[in-house]
Amino acid sequence: MELRYFIIRRLLLMIPTLIGLTIIVFVLMWSLPHTFLASAFINPKAPNRAQAILTAEKQLGLNQGIVFAYLHYLANTLTGNWGYMTLTTPIKFSGTVLSGIGLFFPNTIQLVIFAAILSIIIAIPLGTYIGARPNSAADQLGRIFSLSFYAIPVFVLAVVFQVLFGRGVIKGNPLGIFPISGTFSISAVNVISPPSWLVSGVGGVVLSQPTHLIIFDSLIHGDYALAANAFMHIVLPVLVLTLSLLAGILRFLRASMVDAANSEYIKTARSKGVPENIVVKLHMRRNALIPTVTVLGLLFAGLLGGVVLIEDVFDYPGIGYLALSTILSGSIFGVLGTTFLFGIILITANLLVDITYAILDPRIRY
Amino acid sequence: MIEESALRSNKTMEPKKHSRLENSTATLRLFLKNRIAMIGLAITLVYFAIAIADAVYPEWLGVSNLSTALNFVPGHIANTAQPSPPRFNGSWWYWFGTTYSTMPILPLMLGALRIDLAYTVLIVFVGMGIGVILGSAAGYFGGIFDEIMMRVTDIFFSLPFFVFALAIVYVLGFSFDNVVLALIIIWWPTYARLARGLALETKSFKYVEASRASGASSFRILFGHIIPNVLSPVYVQISLDLGSIVQLFASIFFLIGSLGQSAYPIEIGYMISGGLSYLSEGIWWPVIIPSLFLLVFTVAVNLMGDGLRDVLDPKLRR
Amino acid sequence: MYSIQNLEDEQNEKKATNEEDYLKVTDLVTNFYTSRGIVKALDKISFSIRKGEIFGMVGESGCGKSVTALSVMDLVQDPPGRVVSGKVVIDGFNIFSDIKDLAKIRVRSETDVKIKRNKKAIKKHNFMLSKIRGKKAGMIFQEPSLALNPVLKAGDQITENILLHNKKVIADSLINRANLSLDDVKLAVNEVLNNKEETKSILNNWCRKNALADLETQINSIFKNYTDPKEIEGEIVSLIKGGITLVDKASLIEARDYYDYKEKIENLEIKRFAASEENNSELMRSIDAEETRLKMTSGSRFRSYSLKRIFTGKKVEKAFKAEANRRAKELLSLVSLPDPERIMKSYPHELSGGMQQRLMIAIALASDPKLLIADEPTTALDVTTQAQILKLLRNLNQLVGASILFITHDLAVIAEMCKRVAVMYAGNIVEQGDVLDIFDSPKHPYTVGLLGAIPTPQVKTESGINLHTIPGSVPNLITPPSGCRFHPRCSFAMEICSKSKPKLVELESQRKVACFLYSSEVEE
Repeated sequence: MELRYFIIRRLLLMIPTLIGLTIIVFVLMWSLPHTFLASAFINPKAPNRAQAILTAEKQLGLNQGIVFAYLHYLANTLTGNWGYMTLTTPIKFSGTVLSGIGLFFPNTIQLVIFAAILSIIIAIPLGTYIGARPNSAADQLGRIFSLSFYAIPVFVLAVVFQVLFGRGVIKGNPLGIFPISGTFSISAVNVISPPSWLVSGVGGVVLSQPTHLIIFDSLIHGDYALAANAFMHIVLPVLVLTLSLLAGILRFLRASMVDAANSEYIKTARSKGVPENIVVKLHMRRNALIPTVTVLGLLFAGLLGGVVLIEDVFDYPGIGYLALSTILSGSIFGVLGTTFLFGIILITANLLVDITYAILDPRIRY
Repeated sequence: MIEESALRSNKTMEPKKHSRLENSTATLRLFLKNRIAMIGLAITLVYFAIAIADAVYPEWLGVSNLSTALNFVPGHIANTAQPSPPRFNGSWWYWFGTTYSTMPILPLMLGALRIDLAYTVLIVFVGMGIGVILGSAAGYFGGIFDEIMMRVTDIFFSLPFFVFALAIVYVLGFSFDNVVLALIIIWWPTYARLARGLALETKSFKYVEASRASGASSFRILFGHIIPNVLSPVYVQISLDLGSIVQLFASIFFLIGSLGQSAYPIEIGYMISGGLSYLSEGIWWPVIIPSLFLLVFTVAVNLMGDGLRDVLDPKLRR
Repeated sequence: MYSIQNLEDEQNEKKATNEEDYLKVTDLVTNFYTSRGIVKALDKISFSIRKGEIFGMVGESGCGKSVTALSVMDLVQDPPGRVVSGKVVIDGFNIFSDIKDLAKIRVRSETDVKIKRNKKAIKKHNFMLSKIRGKKAGMIFQEPSLALNPVLKAGDQITENILLHNKKVIADSLINRANLSLDDVKLAVNEVLNNKEETKSILNNWCRKNALADLETQINSIFKNYTDPKEIEGEIVSLIKGGITLVDKASLIEARDYYDYKEKIENLEIKRFAASEENNSELMRSIDAEETRLKMTSGSRFRSYSLKRIFTGKKVEKAFKAEANRRAKELLSLVSLPDPERIMKSYPHELSGGMQQRLMIAIALASDPKLLIADEPTTALDVTTQAQILKLLRNLNQLVGASILFITHDLAVIAEMCKRVAVMYAGNIVEQGDVLDIFDSPKHPYTVGLLGAIPTPQVKTESGINLHTIPGSVPNLITPPSGCRFHPRCSFAMEICSKSKPKLVELESQRKVACFLYSSEVEE
């Protein structure tokens, strides 16, 4: 079948998964004491509290039994009515869950995109080189590297990097040049008259316009000093994320290259007189990428966990940091909302992975 | 006799059903030849030996004589003494240094090892048990049950395990048992999927058909034929998972520790988070040493798993 | 590169097989260095194949026939296998001339072997091989579903072969096409209009001659839709020119000259390589002189060409690809695949087993190699498909004049296909000769047993059907039997058989046997 039909079918398959996600998050919600749900849902600054609580009870369908409650939950989620959250530690924020997510989401996107691009740029050529030379010195080195970085818990790696390369952690550390928290330093901004595009978002969190990504926005607006500063802030988190991702990708790419190299069609290619570098790049790699892509989906799930840990260690205000804050602050709908968000992110990532897989492997389109 | 029939290559991929004992000893021997996997196995066994020793005879470590977790974190007790770095003279307790409250790291860590390993093993094996049974049943019986199982595992695969583990712990309330429960819930689908695929493959093997033809009940076939066949790659997955789960487990407790909560009994991730504040003064051992222990365990278990896979896989493919 | 038109000419000339050897294998030794020991798969094999002949190689599983096929093209998987020594001369060029330089093998014991590979020499070696493989010899494998790259389209797999070795020829025919003048078109149109009944064949020939086969159907329909000669001419011209206005003749000529230059340089490289291995310094000097002369006259012109090609070469490459596609489709028809257009765009998994095997043959023959190595090509196919493929191979042998090294375990296929055959046992050729002769009077005890083991309705004694079997089983090639490797199973074994290995000697014309029953010559 054509790629088009495959994509449509895959999109359709996404629906039951999404519904499953909502069910699971709903179950989490329903397991909490119901008496607190309504009051947690409402705007804390609402004028008529009692009235607001009653409305919330109706919206949540709390008194209508589990099935209707679920349907209400589904409706609320789809319409963007995710409730309110008040965060006290370490973030101070009060507002709707959705808006809060909107504040922190761009930073994580920035982090993940940089790390993903960097890992792919390094992994593919490196994996190809190593995979074409199994059991060579380079190969052994590569395997040691990927195994070690795969086995190091992400938070340890983050802490080590912070210690070794972070400014002001170890006194007198010559390598300590990178800042260790946040997305940019206040010192780089003219606090007295801050630029117009650096505004305070809801609840006192700083947002930049138009993309909300500080590096790109400052570049757009020409404030190169701020861009450089923001860049320095992101280096360590990106490095840690890249390294852990890279280790996983490299492991599988190498293994699949070796599998491909042992296949019969490589003999056919050589028997045609195809020069060795093309045998590796075209015949081996094209086939090796396929199983590697399938594993990307799994790696991405781990990546999301890593994001939470990295944002914790580096005080990086992204959705991982937000999720932690919701747990610490005990904000019920904050927790549910961020959890749901993470689920959607992973589902979307899996969708993209499956589509990429179908593009690469013509056999799957049936 | 020139076996013309043997010359025409036999296209079926079914493994010959040797006696199971024969199969296992050959496998074992091949596995033992892989030196790297042997190292992995040895290290893993050492870890488990320590854990078991601690469980059976805690006084040997003297850990239970040490104060509670609170003493481990600076600031909770009036700590006056300067932490001492690793040194190898004197009692073995001080090999890896001490913390502010003169708490020796090594025995603490060995005790923490037991906690980690015990819970990890629990999680993995319970998860495996549930997953393998459900998955094999789904693969073998097929039909609606299989469809449902596929959908359910699909859904679970879309949940980022770390975040969901945290959410479950939040909802259920924080305790070791809840963390374990959360991880079991998150992990069983992996085994279910694996088992299902293998059950599907095994279902078509001739000896299963023969068994059915001779009137064996489904239950017997499932547990007698399908599941044993499914177990080989499951073993590989188990050894790899020991590493992944212990990391997840430690990560969760690291977070808990770094967010200021206290936990007892002590766990490795928690220990590491407790050691964070020492770093600014260049005191690295409270963080690095437990991390190293964790790292070595994960590497060892992965090497063992890789070796296992090399041994079991080609046999399956033949 | 042939075209179907050339084939018809050649067919009439090439009836008898040439007496010259196209492939000559001498004392080939291939080992596999495994953790359980050294598998001595090929134990000094020697044989030769003449131009245009179908030569068979038969034996049981594990006797080394596939290893022979792979060794001849140096495709043995390394590790663990290596061709250790010997000569393989394909069309005059010994591909193993530098075998000693490639690696140093130190054998301390069966399981303790250290191989040190000379990476530079191997790179050079592989470069030389890539010029020989595909062009001088092609190979088809047993399992087409595994031997075809699953992620590349069928057409691309064929054109890859074509574009590797035939760039100059393609350039020539593209220029031919660009050179088409209005007068040529007028002549053709005239001819068609005067012989309306012969339209199809006239057009067919004309299109072939001028590399226009892909436009044939459109030209045909032009004749259907228009009647005025001037209009027809106009349409045809715009149709033809439309394809190549994007590429001007000058670039084509430049490309052709460039590939011609490259081909000459590469041929010189190969010659020099061969000469250096023979330490023929005189030859080497003349080659060097030739090369310098070439480089001086045309080198500067082309040095910038490859750089230029990166920027402006897209259109030329496209034209090349289009022409390669056309030839690929011709090949597909040659192997009797229906609907070549559709197959070009298909992936291997979309084709049936028989079609896949034909595709493999098309791929292997794409650059017109004069030797095709067929490693059990029909074993994986059902009997009807098998017959079709065998017929195809026989036809190709006649048409194209390529020799075939046909490897199989099936004696019936050997009888059907091959003129001469070599019987292999445990890494040795034990008997070789004309097929009919061998079937009629097999000499080596193994061959006798092999032929006696074929179940036929006639094999009968008083007690009923009696199938002769050879007692014992195939030896372990890590610890092969001493002396003649067959002696433990041979009912005629003598004392000398376990001590020395019999040499493959020529008894009568074309008949060789390696057995002490017939000759006392010993293999060193």
